[in-house]
Amino acid sequence: MQYGMIINLDRCVGCHACAVACRAEWEVPVEFARNWVRRLGPANTPHGLAATYYPGLCNHCTHPACVDVCPADTEMVTFKDAKTGKTKTMEVAATWKDPFNGTVQIDKKRCLGCGACADACPYGARYVNPDLADDDSDGKADKCTYCMPRVEAGLQPACVQTCLAEARIFGDLDDPGSEVSKYVKKGAVGLTSKNVQIGPNSRYFGNKKDMALLMTQAPQEMPEASSRRSMLAGLLKPARKQAKSLALAGIAGTLLVKSLQEQEKE
Amino acid sequence: MAINLTRRNFLKTASIAAAGIPLSKVVARAETGIAKAPLIPPGSFKDTKTVTGGICEMCFWRCQLVGKVRGDRLVKLEGNPKSIDNGQNLCARGNSGIKLVYDPDRLKYPMKNIGKRGAPKWQKISWDEALNICADKLQATIDKYGPKGIAVWYHGASAHYPNAYFDYLGVPNKYEPAFYQCRGQTAMAMMQTLGFVPNEDVDMPNSKAMLLVGCHIGENIHLSHVKNFLKGLENGSKVVVVDPRFSAAAAKAHIWVQIKPGTDTAFLLGLMNYMFDKEIYNKTFAKKYCLGLKRLKKHVAEWTVEKTAAECDIPAKQIVEVAELLAKNAPNVSIHPGRHAAWYGNDFQRVRANACLTAILGAMDCPGGIVRIKRMSSGHVHWPEVDHEEDPEEMALAEVVEKYPFRPPGTPPELMRDTMISGKPYPIKSLVVWGTNSIKTMPRQERTEKALANMDFILVTDVTPTDITMWADILLPEASYLERYGHVEKGTQWNQGDKPQQFLSARMPLIDPMFERKDPVWIINELAKRMGHGKDIPVRNQEEYVNHLLKETGLTIAKLRKLDGIYIQPGESPYLKKGEEPKFDTDSGKIELYSEAMEDEDFPPLPTYTKTAEPPKGFARMIYGRSPVHTFNRTANNAWLAREIPENPLWINDESAKKMGLKDGDRVFLENQDGKKSVSSTVVKTTPGIRKDCVFIAHGFGTFNPAMTVGFHKGIDDNSLNTKINREGETGISGMRINFVRVIKDGKVIDIPA
Repeated sequence: MQYGMIINLDRCVGCHACAVACRAEWEVPVEFARNWVRRLGPANTPHGLAATYYPGLCNHCTHPACVDVCPADTEMVTFKDAKTGKTKTMEVAATWKDPFNGTVQIDKKRCLGCGACADACPYGARYVNPDLADDDSDGKADKCTYCMPRVEAGLQPACVQTCLAEARIFGDLDDPGSEVSKYVKKGAVGLTSKNVQIGPNSRYFGNKKDMALLMTQAPQEMPEASSRRSMLAGLLKPARKQAKSLALAGIAGTLLVKSLQEQEKE
Repeated sequence: MAINLTRRNFLKTASIAAAGIPLSKVVARAETGIAKAPLIPPGSFKDTKTVTGGICEMCFWRCQLVGKVRGDRLVKLEGNPKSIDNGQNLCARGNSGIKLVYDPDRLKYPMKNIGKRGAPKWQKISWDEALNICADKLQATIDKYGPKGIAVWYHGASAHYPNAYFDYLGVPNKYEPAFYQCRGQTAMAMMQTLGFVPNEDVDMPNSKAMLLVGCHIGENIHLSHVKNFLKGLENGSKVVVVDPRFSAAAAKAHIWVQIKPGTDTAFLLGLMNYMFDKEIYNKTFAKKYCLGLKRLKKHVAEWTVEKTAAECDIPAKQIVEVAELLAKNAPNVSIHPGRHAAWYGNDFQRVRANACLTAILGAMDCPGGIVRIKRMSSGHVHWPEVDHEEDPEEMALAEVVEKYPFRPPGTPPELMRDTMISGKPYPIKSLVVWGTNSIKTMPRQERTEKALANMDFILVTDVTPTDITMWADILLPEASYLERYGHVEKGTQWNQGDKPQQFLSARMPLIDPMFERKDPVWIINELAKRMGHGKDIPVRNQEEYVNHLLKETGLTIAKLRKLDGIYIQPGESPYLKKGEEPKFDTDSGKIELYSEAMEDEDFPPLPTYTKTAEPPKGFARMIYGRSPVHTFNRTANNAWLAREIPENPLWINDESAKKMGLKDGDRVFLENQDGKKSVSSTVVKTTPGIRKDCVFIAHGFGTFNPAMTVGFHKGIDDNSLNTKINREGETGISGMRINFVRVIKDGKVIDIPA
């Protein structure tokens, strides 16, 4: 199963209700957004004058750039398939891709608030909320969850429910009979480019000119931080484990912080 | 434990930088005792109760709501699942009602201005003291000048009961911007021609073609109206949008007619002439139901395709294309009546032309046409009738000066303002403002300020400290639409093509008001008692008020509550049945293409085009419109909406911008033809989607009152640049799109090339 969202630009009128309903539902501070609308055009496209909107949210990517960069301690976590009850146990850091529903989620308790994931996302879909800082962190990373708690309660995602244009459709992309899959067959695409191909599962459908304008919003490069961070995170994880086992966390931590800072300065 | 010191520093800076806005948030927390956010917000559906009976008033479309309430805190608003109008949907503004309720800038207590009008210093006073002052001052005006010495400016449902009281007092002059700066001509010219007011009841879902002249659905978000428009598109209706600007609606249109501003009437006359000429109009309907068909034909004959094309600066073939499309699909075409019509001061004639076009296509009472939607009715609350020394109707200014025979309800505001300044034909010395920000609605702000300065007493009641509140002597804090009983909303299923149903809903509070905010029934009754009218009070409280409105329906608040806030019953299709004849409530009983009533009043009896002034060299016409997440200036201080669209970008033609050295994001001020400069600035948006002879900004920005900490000086107040008006003889409504602007960047004035 892979949850996904379709946004039909033929219907979207750019009313911003999605962005605000999300903010209300999840108490997102005004400094940040899990769900946004950018107004595009009127501008010339190869297919004529166009004006449309970029209603954006987390893409819950098939190959998320934000997951592997998480430097938090890993834990064995057991995931459960809501439908079949099947379980799977995996070792994950503070953010992961759910093996059953395909959404990308965060464990806020374990999040360090370092922002590596936010830096790694080419879509800017994540933010670190400093209001949620606790003894162990500077804040917590946050983003769209595809409203999993609502979906599990039998509700639509908040942005889908409020959409007066019925421009947003939520469902299982792996189910060929689902409404979202039908849109994919009709040509709904994610915001990808030559260098950014991480399998976005929030997809857009629309006429040629609107889609041409929308595609100007596709990220052209993977964030630099993402490659550097993932390398560092790769170094960090085994080191932390080792450090833990040797009861030398303090020293190892200091060393790691130092190396990170040096990297940042470069 | 933090491993990224850089980010920590960044966050620190960021939170300091952001402190300007969240400061208000901090205050809100201190005042409302809200604890720190939990790590994982529970979501609006967890541990909340659903309170029904809400009716939105973030705009005036009035969608039906439910509130998710946790403890005594409203956490989220959603469309009432029972609604057959908006359903579970809400627009951005509807969703943001939460931020109006908990806006820390909101008025909390009655206040007395101990500073100057326009530069107030507020002293918190008790309701008792505030109402005593109001009663004394209003009575003093009545004693000295009669009830005609009082003027009322109002907007919205909360003003209905106060208005009933001012009627009882015999106050003859009241003004609502909904008519005089917006829909006045749309209502009155349609009435004069068709004998009914269609509002915007046009059956777009079931149309085969739509014509939108200047209405930008999509930027103007009225929920079920947008749903109708989109359903029409989905059903394959061909959309024509006539607009100098590539609006949200134009972006979805099949034909965009990029018309020269001010020439819309010529366009409509040209369409009619082509249809007459080619004999493709709806002959059967027109001959049977219209008065003055021959005279109209003769009258529009001068508007050949070539002449129309030249006047409107559009390709001739577009006129042919549009005329053919509409005629081919008649009568199932939506000739949208429009909404805001106070454009150029010749707008009554334009709406008449629109009505005539609708008529010669027979596009009414049928699928796709203008429809007479059958809604339930509800009652009114009146105070007892009293004999006044002077008949208020005769004392209404427009009657006294014998002008504006086709005016909408109320007194033209500029006429009232002139009187407040001159004292002629009689003095007006007290002003009551209820729920309207007249600084942002009435053009020629310097005249408004002069009128305000001339008053003996000004009472303002509102929810937030809007610009006009700065001129109040006494300022009263009102409960918002989510904290009071009030308006009764009646309607049908949103798509007239679906199974006919009717609904009725009455506004009920979703939460209790905080601080000392009060509902209008309480305020007016307490005022009335102090003015010696206690014995005549018609309803004791707001619940009784609503039950009185509901009386004829057999419903009560209690019954509606049991029905989750909405009563639904079978309805009636608005389409004529086979063999059923349409009725027109005009003098002649027919659709009056030719209006004798207008002729009698010395106005053109057939829809007539008059040219509007051209921009002076170096200037472009300022056209204004809606921002999709704002309702005029009412929402400017809403933190969530300001987050979505904080200001009103200046749309300027990209080629002109290039010549002027302007690029996207440049910060600019505007200066108009009279040398009036905007107080605040906005950003430039260069686009091929606007003509070179005009620029566009959304209305409602550039709040003047520093007490509105979110909206203060954000964007440009278009109305501050409306120093010139064209007062229409038929209605007394002022056209405002006759103001022209150029750009100021870095202190340098830049002409806009033609």
